[in-house]
Amino acid sequence: MVQGITEPLGSIYAPLMQVYGGQILAGISPGHGGQHLEGIPVFDLVEQALLSVGAVDTSVIFVPPYQVLDAALEAIAAGIRQLVLVTEGVPPMDMMRLCRVAEASETLVVGPNCPGIIVPGQILLGTHPAEFYTPGTVGLVSRCGTLTYEVARELSQAGFGQSIALGIGSDRIIGSTFQQWLQILDEDEQTEAIVLVGKIGSDSEEVAARYIIEAIDKPVVAYIAGRTLPQSQYIGHAGAVVSSQVAGLRDEIGTAESKISALRQAKVPIAECLSQLPDLLKQVLKGSPKTSAKS
Amino acid sequence: MDLLEYQAKQLFYEMGIPVLPSQQIDHPKDLKGLKIPYPVVLKSQVYTGGRGKAGGIRFVENTIDAVAAAQTIFNLPITGMYPAVLLAEAKYDADRELYLAVILDWSARRPLLLGSQRGGVDVEATIGAMQQVVVDQEFSPFYARRLALKMGLQGELIRSVSAILEKMYQLFLQKDLDLVEINPLAVSSAGELMALDGKITANDDALGRHPDLATLQEKIPHQIKTKMLPRDLADTTLVELEGNIGILCNGAGLTMTTLDLVHKAGGRPASFLNLGSEYRHNNSPEVLRDRIQRGLELMMQSKNLKVVLVNTLGNVMLCRQTAEAIATHLQHQAGSRVVPFVVRLVGDQFDEARQMLQALNLPLFHDLDEAIAEAISLSK
Repeated sequence: MVQGITEPLGSIYAPLMQVYGGQILAGISPGHGGQHLEGIPVFDLVEQALLSVGAVDTSVIFVPPYQVLDAALEAIAAGIRQLVLVTEGVPPMDMMRLCRVAEASETLVVGPNCPGIIVPGQILLGTHPAEFYTPGTVGLVSRCGTLTYEVARELSQAGFGQSIALGIGSDRIIGSTFQQWLQILDEDEQTEAIVLVGKIGSDSEEVAARYIIEAIDKPVVAYIAGRTLPQSQYIGHAGAVVSSQVAGLRDEIGTAESKISALRQAKVPIAECLSQLPDLLKQVLKGSPKTSAKS
Repeated sequence: MDLLEYQAKQLFYEMGIPVLPSQQIDHPKDLKGLKIPYPVVLKSQVYTGGRGKAGGIRFVENTIDAVAAAQTIFNLPITGMYPAVLLAEAKYDADRELYLAVILDWSARRPLLLGSQRGGVDVEATIGAMQQVVVDQEFSPFYARRLALKMGLQGELIRSVSAILEKMYQLFLQKDLDLVEINPLAVSSAGELMALDGKITANDDALGRHPDLATLQEKIPHQIKTKMLPRDLADTTLVELEGNIGILCNGAGLTMTTLDLVHKAGGRPASFLNLGSEYRHNNSPEVLRDRIQRGLELMMQSKNLKVVLVNTLGNVMLCRQTAEAIATHLQHQAGSRVVPFVVRLVGDQFDEARQMLQALNLPLFHDLDEAIAEAISLSK
């Protein structure tokens, strides 16, 4: 299902997702019920759509930022347990509330401010440009948007297709974390190795590194963006801000050095640049990448 | 967005958090109509720590002293900022000073209550005694009392300090704040509480639904020369560095990666600009084109600039839009200083983009490393 299907992003990506092979059963857009977008029936309300099309696994949400919480709560209330929030700029207070509800209802929330999920050759739930991805055995989990595409392209060109690739979101408060996805990829039978893409700011990579030590058996390699950026500077959305809100309380976290040293402790090889990622993958897979192209 | 002290105190007042009688001073002559009895404290309204040490806070006993002191403070830059407003406030005798704050813990995705018995200007002492309580479910006042006890408060102070925290939390929630801080919260010898200084950071993403907070921004002085960057760089704000290569990308991670690669290959960025991610709900080709053009105009103002490296990546028409925007920019620039462009694009409509740029004699690259090598050689 696509919520916000008549919004600018929704109307661009819903047809692309449909073409890629995912079955889009319904679109939601209040006031547009009864219309069709590229053959996808549009409804006013999620529960109304479900009555008509039956159960839905996942909803991809493209509504404006201040409507994301409401759209997500509407989907959860209707029984949908996987949500992808693409929209950028959802207020943290809304995400806090959504995370509480999602935890209580065991709903998987990806995003916000993210490209969503792609299972190459099978299904697209978000905005990943299909041409950069090939089916294979590398799980790709990233905290970036367009950089995820770049990494996928690099891997595909080197013969490393992807089992699942996703961006977990660039905002400060996101639904599912690196840890959750590392665990999913660790259990996924298609996945033989994991590529983790992070960037400076927040403590996500540090926490992920600790989790890798505790719980992940499959080989993980990493890339961290922003290594040459002066510490006082940050780029773009607030996710990259080092969150030292109370002076001195946590300013040692979030730098490239802090992330790299945490990942080294977890024995995760770190690529200096993107083109090193395939070499590192070869090493951790002991020189025999099974790039089983299923397509 | 950080609010100034007097703006934060106005919100405290509306919420019922005790603040001293005070008056906003826009001009030294306003002090002639001062309604607060002397002695009075005059405080520079700039958003930075260390105002006191810099001379931005002065005690005055009468109107003549006050006008002179106000003139001095208005003309005193603190880390490059001049105040647009001073706050005149009654003096207060504190017996003890506490620290209280409500913040969002990004990774726990929960609000955090912070408190220290050692409030005031000694940050290290404050942090050394800092206690915290995570608000893991719907807020209820017991969370505040839990913090008060952890701080080691006793007797009547448990209830009175908790009541202040509860109001801070309400403010935090109602106004979508990233931070509400009272430091110091003075405790008088009679056990009365008074917020002597306050700090509020509003969440930028939520400002659109709080017009009252957004209008406060007008009064906040801009830094003249700054190392801190504006928050929303995605709104085509340029960041200037020391080198000579201008870098324009879409997305934060991609921008950082491009900068890292240029550094690694021996190049020196003059500036960088992030066009923003693809996930704004209202993204359209027109918006993108406009952002690229505005970005390039900003970039051209840098004198050291020798070459521009454009690296954009994405879905749906991005290649053609980027090429069109660059072409339009170059047409507008015709006649003025010409800086070479190195453009790297990947995505749909690459061939159309190549034809468009070929007509302008601009090289178009598919491979990022090659594009960077070319940009660096042009910068030498």
